[in-house]
Amino acid sequence: MNSLVRRQICKSSACLKSSFRSNRTCRTGIHSRRMSTLPEGGSRDKSTVGVFTPKAAALFIATGAGLFYYFQYEKARLAEQRRKELEDKEVGRPNVGGPFNLVTQKGEPFTEKDLLGKWSLIYFGFTNCPDICPEELDKMSAAVEKIDSTYGPIVQPIFISVDPARDSVAQIARYVSDFHPRLIGLRGDYASTKAVCKVYRVYFSTPPNTKETDDYLVDHSIFFYLMDPNGKFVEAFGKASTEDDVVARIEKEIGLWKDKTGETH
Amino acid sequence: MGWFGSKKEDDQPLRHDRQKCWESRDAYFACLDATGVVKPGDEGSKCKETKVVYEQNCAKSWVDYFNKRRVLAEQQANVLAQVNSQASEAKRKS
Repeated sequence: MNSLVRRQICKSSACLKSSFRSNRTCRTGIHSRRMSTLPEGGSRDKSTVGVFTPKAAALFIATGAGLFYYFQYEKARLAEQRRKELEDKEVGRPNVGGPFNLVTQKGEPFTEKDLLGKWSLIYFGFTNCPDICPEELDKMSAAVEKIDSTYGPIVQPIFISVDPARDSVAQIARYVSDFHPRLIGLRGDYASTKAVCKVYRVYFSTPPNTKETDDYLVDHSIFFYLMDPNGKFVEAFGKASTEDDVVARIEKEIGLWKDKTGETH
Repeated sequence: MGWFGSKKEDDQPLRHDRQKCWESRDAYFACLDATGVVKPGDEGSKCKETKVVYEQNCAKSWVDYFNKRRVLAEQQANVLAQVNSQASEAKRKS
């Protein structure tokens, strides 16, 4: 109440024009900006309190508060960004993979559900492939071998034929026996082959009007995929990836999976 | 061709068949290199021996594929060499 009264006084012209003593009374009552704008009052303030004027104090506090809020805000923003990045990793996954219905080299049915619970490496090719397919399958088999020795059989190598006209079950059986002992060879009729290639974003093109006995090559995409134990796409490896690149990438993913679920697959 | 469809099985290129094909291809291509021929077929009768073995050990589609690839690889190497020499020349000038 007292200070209010004083403020009233101070705001009046009487106060401003009053003597030094009453002026001081006013100053202690309020931080009167009005006063410091006055030439005489300002010089007097300086002489009494040094450089730490009310204006400077206000600026100091305002800057401090401003910085504090700015840092709080930045911190929150960065945390939000990190959270989003993690989310993006899930969201940004290429939409590769999906339902398919094929037959193994033993004549048993095999669908996308059979991929669950294990990591898989999937290569698309054909048994009459001159050099690239066997090279890639050798690389894949060697990588699986290495992972096997550290983690056990948690990565399933798979070969899917893109040559439905010539690659019979028996032919695929003979072909896959050349590579990793656990390699599964899959085939389907033209429609199911087309369908699996579509969901896996694999291109293949057989020459038109081919017969089973014709000698031809199939043009196709030559990378192999790493899929996680949920059957979700992780990575595609091309000719440029070495066996060690593949192993390192798989081990990294196994590590992340272990952090998340406590299991290696 | 046997009674049990063995012909088809024989056609199936297994690892050792592929290996045999690749080796005879390499032998033939080495002969072409030695005679300074890039495009298979341009060598006349010079590499006949290796060519016969090559064509025996590899399916026709494979032979066509390897032959085409040899020409392409040669062209690629030429372009690459040209680019490199141009690049080093430009470096020298600057």
